[in-house]
Amino acid sequence: MSWTTARRSDLFSGLSARHPREAGSFSRRVFLERSATAALGLSAVGPLLAACGSGENGATPGATGAAADLQLARQDNPVKWPIYEDNPPIASGLEPEGGPLKIYNWNGYVWPRILKQFGKEYGVDVQLTTFSTSDEAIQKLATGAVDFDVFFPFPDRFGRLVVGKILQPLNHDYIPNLATSVWPSLQDPFYDQGSQYTVPYTIYTTGIGYRADKISTTPYDLSNPYEIYWDERNKGKTYLLDDSREAPIHMLLKNGITDINTEKPEEIDVAKSDLIALTDAVNVKVSTDDYTNIPEGKAWVHEAWSGSMISAPYYLPKGVGPEVLGYWFPEDGKGTIGNDMIAVLRSAKNPVLAHHFLNYLLDEKHGYDNFVNYVGYQPPFVSIDPDKLVTDEIVPENLKSAVVRESDFDTAYFLAELSPAGQTIWQNAWAEFKAGV
Amino acid sequence: MSEPPRVGRGRTGFWAGLALPGVGWLCVFFLVPFYVILGVAFGTVDPIFGTPQPAWNPLDWDTQAFDFVFNSLFSSGGAFQAVFLRTLAYVAIAVVLSLAIAYPVAYYVARFGGRWKGLLLAGLIAPFFISYLMRMLAWINLLQDDGWVNDVLLWAHVLDAPRSWLDGRASSVILGMVYGYVPYMILPLYAFLDRVDRSVLEAARDLGASRFHAFRLVTLPLSVPAILAGCVIIALPMFGDYYTPDLLSGSPHTSLVGNQIDLYIRGGQQVPVGAALVVCLMLMLAVLMAYYLYVTARAERRLGR
Amino acid sequence: MRRARDWWSNAWGRPRFLLLFTLLYLAWSILPILIAVRFSFNEGRSRSSTQGWSNRWYWGDPDLSVWHDPDLKNALFQSLQLAGIAILVTVPLGVALAIGLTRWRGRAATASRFTAMVPLVTPEIVMGVALLLVFVYVFSFIPLGTTAQAIGHITFSLSFVLVIVRGRLLAIGPEYEEAAQDLGASPLRSIRLALVPMLVPAIVASAIIVFAISMDDFVVSAYLSSGSSTDTVPVRIYSAGRTAPSPALNALASLTLGITIVIALLAFGLWRIVRSARGQRDSALADLAG
Repeated sequence: MSWTTARRSDLFSGLSARHPREAGSFSRRVFLERSATAALGLSAVGPLLAACGSGENGATPGATGAAADLQLARQDNPVKWPIYEDNPPIASGLEPEGGPLKIYNWNGYVWPRILKQFGKEYGVDVQLTTFSTSDEAIQKLATGAVDFDVFFPFPDRFGRLVVGKILQPLNHDYIPNLATSVWPSLQDPFYDQGSQYTVPYTIYTTGIGYRADKISTTPYDLSNPYEIYWDERNKGKTYLLDDSREAPIHMLLKNGITDINTEKPEEIDVAKSDLIALTDAVNVKVSTDDYTNIPEGKAWVHEAWSGSMISAPYYLPKGVGPEVLGYWFPEDGKGTIGNDMIAVLRSAKNPVLAHHFLNYLLDEKHGYDNFVNYVGYQPPFVSIDPDKLVTDEIVPENLKSAVVRESDFDTAYFLAELSPAGQTIWQNAWAEFKAGV
Repeated sequence: MSEPPRVGRGRTGFWAGLALPGVGWLCVFFLVPFYVILGVAFGTVDPIFGTPQPAWNPLDWDTQAFDFVFNSLFSSGGAFQAVFLRTLAYVAIAVVLSLAIAYPVAYYVARFGGRWKGLLLAGLIAPFFISYLMRMLAWINLLQDDGWVNDVLLWAHVLDAPRSWLDGRASSVILGMVYGYVPYMILPLYAFLDRVDRSVLEAARDLGASRFHAFRLVTLPLSVPAILAGCVIIALPMFGDYYTPDLLSGSPHTSLVGNQIDLYIRGGQQVPVGAALVVCLMLMLAVLMAYYLYVTARAERRLGR
Repeated sequence: MRRARDWWSNAWGRPRFLLLFTLLYLAWSILPILIAVRFSFNEGRSRSSTQGWSNRWYWGDPDLSVWHDPDLKNALFQSLQLAGIAILVTVPLGVALAIGLTRWRGRAATASRFTAMVPLVTPEIVMGVALLLVFVYVFSFIPLGTTAQAIGHITFSLSFVLVIVRGRLLAIGPEYEEAAQDLGASPLRSIRLALVPMLVPAIVASAIIVFAISMDDFVVSAYLSSGSSTDTVPVRIYSAGRTAPSPALNALASLTLGITIVIALLAFGLWRIVRSARGQRDSALADLAG
């Protein structure tokens, strides 16, 4: 940006001090004439592009007619996705391919060493491409112009990937660890009954992280804990998650609206007004770097994911112990919960290898190593005892509310998928909040 | 006119051929993308994924995205109206402040630089070689709660307690933009002032004007085109700036048009709205852009003399 | 002492005030950078209090230094790579474009001249959005990443080369080419032998400027990036600057600054050597400062 302006400024060295009343050949009529010509020229580009675009890009895969197939899975409305004829699972008993294995995942969400270990064991190259927002990932996958093998989907945009035939159904013969490592309830989740397209990866809750040494009133002290965001003593140090679902959900819950997947405009409006009110009240900021904002002291109150709190102690400055951190989640368990998944893409060039990778991550030891050494988000393994995590001091005592148990899924609200229309209403509300009206 | 060569009159094809690769490149990678913006802005959205489906034929154009944008832009209380007005205000203030800083500096270096002129000029050019983001980063470091700005202000007893400069203040964003863009205004002003004909000024002094009057009645009026040009030069990039508010303030209160465009384009569901915003921004800037191009064309013509 | 007293007694005469103002401006403009560079040599993690001297953030720290942190090192290489590609393609393309456009006559020529200037006045976010949309929805055979970023850099740098070289061309005038052609050279040879050597200062200046623009670019590089492996230095500064900046970021920025200055000085020095070898007498800063 600097050179753009730089050179523009250089051009004006040509201006002299003489009175600028010189005749130029640049008259208004000529200008209009030329613009007209240009416009005509550009409109001819249209048909050209149509031919060009449809040749290379084509319509979004699977979009035609599939909108009606999209079912919105809910805990009380589980969905068993169809296996499409033109998208069958791979056959059993095949040998893994030679790679390279291409993985598409969130930034910082899988331990690089695990990838190297897998690569060494199978003698293949492993390439990781990352994304930083869910929209970015969906956009990229929807164009169809990708050749990743493994993808890490999230439940609030998952059904679309199935009906759009972006994911391929799994062949469980290659993933024996699913049955042995994972919690029974998540082997048959409501959003993907029978685990036909996905296996679970990590589980998390969304609560409120805070600096116990900086704030005088914690969410535990308040009758409506979400009111902590309005505490003016934390002005300028209050953060929400930069996510168009997570942030408004806390506003919904503050107002006692428990359907966090609502699409009712009036309820979304309530959330939006509260968000806007927060900007005025405490100058609220948004970020997805809760795992560093809180330990670094940038944030005193931060809507946070449980996994971030577990990795937060690592980012504390020297001399500050983990006892300064705190995490609040509703004691009756009625807060946001979710889990991320792993899946194999339909466009995968190494589907068998991809299945092996899923199995590798579901191995008790590998999943656990990934969790404690890097990611901080728990895998839903039966071998992991939540209480032992605290007694073994993997998780500090004061952060034990960040550990997720299987029973939490019975009470908490699962962040699930919305219809496209509902998604749009939410996004508009979020954009309005971000506009600082 | 110095442009047409006396030789090669019949060789238009030759010159066109030399220019063709460059022109071709610009057509493919500059003009076509502009048309794509229109195509996306007037297009529809995939029902499942929300990805845009551009419409290339003007007859198929759907005004849905523009309806949404105009609605929000022209109704009081609309989000886009608030953002556009805020952007206009910030840019206007930043440009005025930049002018207040740039003109005196350019004037001094041009008129009184003397033997130090080379060194001063080097100092003025230096920011061009420093990445804009590095300069912003330098300020973020200084403006932190425990940064040097607070340290100095506390030591000078201007403040009683450290103030949080990065928590969403308009002043931080505006001053950041001034810091970032003022060097680009200084250079053209300097170049202009450097060429002011001294004899005119001497004539004014001979006729009895004081130094101040000579400045006010001769130099200043002559500078007006250069001042306008300088303002346009920095206003254009300021209108598209979204990284400065992001870095110096995280708050929605200071979000500018660029931030909203960024949100809609990268936000997945409603890319046509983002594209429509871009079109609106370009329309708004069209006057400035045309002015700049017109003056540049004139300046180039004069260069050939 | 008397001179100092005389000077001081005239302290608020306009030149003195303006001098102070100018010096303050220069300090305000450059000091923060020097401070940032200072902190890049900090022993500790702080970016706001000086904590000793160390090259920790450059290569010392085994995890977080620029040399050892793959994200940061990669960003530096990516920036340099894109700048190199930009120079190699844009300068020849731009010089040919400038020569062609200046000598060409006719309506198409004027339209082309106009079109070639529009990138200069286009805000970066418009360019970024336009290029992103075109690569995703039309030219989808070109994946996002280095190729797309390189194309973007070339596209917005082209106009700068055009302006610089064209300015020089207009100042030179057609006489030298005409003389060469009178002596029997074909148009192509006359350009190569008579015109191009006179353009060398402008070519060198435009190369330096393309390098600086490319290294500094943020919006286009960010929009056309395919992920953290194709992030450039400004993109990395932006994303890390908002979250957990460490002095390593200062180190990265200082390295970039150092490299840009060295390249500019090298090119400038090289040109002066060539210039004195040829015995030309063009002004040094002329093309650089316009």
